[in-house]
Amino acid sequence: MSKSKSKLNRSYRRRGAGLLVATISALVLASCGASTSSPGGSPSTTGAKSPIIIGAVIDETNTMKPFDVPALNAAEIQASQINASGGVDGRKIVFKVYNDQLVPALTRSDAIAAVSAGASILWVSCDVNFATPAIQVGLQHKLLTIAPCIGTDQMGPSLFGPAGKLAFSYGNAPQSDGAVLARLLIQHGWKTATVVTDKLLTYFTDVCQNFSTDFAKMGGHVVSQLSYTTGDHTVTQVASQAAQSGAAATVLCTTTTPDLPAFVTAVRTLGNAKPIVGPWAIDGGFWEPSNPAISTNIWWSTFASVFGDDPSPQIRALEAEMVAKGEAPVTGGFVTGPAAVQGIVTAIKDAGGSLNGTRLAAIMQTFHDVNTISGPVSFSSTYHTVVGRPYRIIEDTAGKPHFVEILTPGPLGS
Amino acid sequence: MRPRLRLVAELAGPLSLVVVVAVAGSAMSIAQQGNAINVLVTATIVVALYVFIGNSGVWSFGQISFVAVGAFAAGLLTSPTATRQTSMPTLFKFLATTQISNTESLVLAAGLGAVFSFLAGLVLMRLSGLSAGIATFAVLEITYDVLTYWDKIGPGATTLALVPVTTSMTVGAVGCGIAIVVAFAYQHTRSCRLLRASREDPVAAQGLGISVFRHRLVAFTISGGLAGFAGALFVHELGSISTGQVYIDLTFATLAMLVVGGAGSLWGAVLGGMGLGVVDAFLSNAENGVAFGSVNVTLPNGMRVVILGVLMVVVLIIAPKGVTGSREFLERFLSKRPGRAGAGNKPGGSLAGGASVADDGSQAVPSPSRTQS
Repeated sequence: MSKSKSKLNRSYRRRGAGLLVATISALVLASCGASTSSPGGSPSTTGAKSPIIIGAVIDETNTMKPFDVPALNAAEIQASQINASGGVDGRKIVFKVYNDQLVPALTRSDAIAAVSAGASILWVSCDVNFATPAIQVGLQHKLLTIAPCIGTDQMGPSLFGPAGKLAFSYGNAPQSDGAVLARLLIQHGWKTATVVTDKLLTYFTDVCQNFSTDFAKMGGHVVSQLSYTTGDHTVTQVASQAAQSGAAATVLCTTTTPDLPAFVTAVRTLGNAKPIVGPWAIDGGFWEPSNPAISTNIWWSTFASVFGDDPSPQIRALEAEMVAKGEAPVTGGFVTGPAAVQGIVTAIKDAGGSLNGTRLAAIMQTFHDVNTISGPVSFSSTYHTVVGRPYRIIEDTAGKPHFVEILTPGPLGS
Repeated sequence: MRPRLRLVAELAGPLSLVVVVAVAGSAMSIAQQGNAINVLVTATIVVALYVFIGNSGVWSFGQISFVAVGAFAAGLLTSPTATRQTSMPTLFKFLATTQISNTESLVLAAGLGAVFSFLAGLVLMRLSGLSAGIATFAVLEITYDVLTYWDKIGPGATTLALVPVTTSMTVGAVGCGIAIVVAFAYQHTRSCRLLRASREDPVAAQGLGISVFRHRLVAFTISGGLAGFAGALFVHELGSISTGQVYIDLTFATLAMLVVGGAGSLWGAVLGGMGLGVVDAFLSNAENGVAFGSVNVTLPNGMRVVILGVLMVVVLIIAPKGVTGSREFLERFLSKRPGRAGAGNKPGGSLAGGASVADDGSQAVPSPSRTQS
């Protein structure tokens, strides 16, 4: 018995020691330093001018991947086109990409790594909650900090105080999202609406609140306000109430899966064939039930049509290039990536080539209808997220989404 | 002499590991230092879990609630008041205007964690087994919902930003060390020994007049206090916090660390927390590319989770009681004496190995499962 105990003893010690050795080894190996990919190309070796390094700390693995990756892919195409035509006053744009996997500590250390690697501009994930550890590193180092498609107005001083002057998003503010949906309903003569809010994200709540306010101002009437939280298994009850509300349209602020298909199916099954309208968050059409009778009369606003019929030749060409590279975008949000690159380049040129974050941010804050592939971009001291940019309206008929029109939200509060 | 040496080793082992991680981390690049600090903070959370789970044998899925409360309290009251009033206009007035120092925030977080866990424990500690586990999970859910939707006490569903980043390598190491010392001191109290006895055989323990409820409540409260303290370290490490960061993912990640290390010993908690923490950080970096001399190795995206999962399964198959066998540091080596009972007698004894309360000379709870030659 004592022999076997002794064996066991040695075994435990070996295991403990093994893990200890592994721990120390891994620490040492990790200290060798993580290198980063630079899909935008290696830093310029031919020109005398140093490259403009954009450190992109994004999610390539987790739930933000469908938003972060297409925007970055499109941004890299835009950057390579700018580089091919001589760069920004002779300086190439280089992306150094870090996959933060939405792990907070990793997001922060990746941002620090990007700064250490010489990034002059920080590029972050499209969700402000996930991106905050990286954003704060950018602001702390006084770098211009850009999110291609954060869809709240928090990317700026409203959340980050005075330091937030350096933070901008090329996504649309929820005030605009709400306003354009209100205008869509009024324009089509749908004067009454049931509003369904998914409480999962502040963004959804903000869009539906802004819609309700603007809709009332435009002469519409909200018949009922309903809510659920994605994943709480109440979506079919809420859909039942919405279907029987008698409103001319249902406005739904939510994301695609897992509850949206169930909502649409329930509403249609109960005999309600009236329009279901939502913001960019339901873009893509990939989530729709396969039954064409159910997937019909569904409308949404977005940045660009990914169904091959966008009215902009530039966007169609960019989309075709992405498809050819096997990077077909799922939602129209991909155009925010190249739009952000265009905005950055405009600011750098206006600053006389300076990469000083404070200077670039001061210029960017004065942007008024700056032309980008996504449409005119405007910022202000209040809004560091785009307001007033025209939207593409998509209608899904019998499971076939298609571009309908371009609609501008108009001045906020109008 | 040997028992004293064993005690020294029991404390020195975990503390040495903290020093190793801190020293090795300090030698790294600035970006990698963040990973090392995170390892220390995560290990502090795992130690907090161990204080209750390891000693009571009751699996709690709610300890991250106390981390969350500590993190939000410490973060909120140290963030700039001017920004608080503009970005969180619905806050209670005293929360909008009160400003405390970072050190005070650590104390406050520990206190709030202890008070909250004490109040929750008054109800929960009467339960056992699966019921207790589910009930603690309910506490996690309630805490998450309150913090997410009640915007009078915090940022609600949005991120709390602009929290001072003060958890340096030194602060992280000292914080983790304090948690280890507290856990060590507690596991040598009479209350903890009685709790361990009740863990091995609740019926026999109660038959001997041990109040299982009271001793569980003590452990739960100390664990909650340490968890709140760890939450403060966590928020001051990241400089921001949102409710999603202190919810299910962190719950299961830290529980997995405790299980892999060995839930029945402080050494197991520290080794599991730091070991898996380091491996996790390394794999995360490997997805971005790691240089081995002139060779650059890049793991495919998503492999971090896959490898960690496989690693945990393999470890648990080879060592069901964790890599330490739920033994304290050098315990077997230092306690080898003829005729002496097994490790279960000692505070660091195995969860499955049985225990008695003979160490304090007051009581003994025989456990049939521990009958050994």
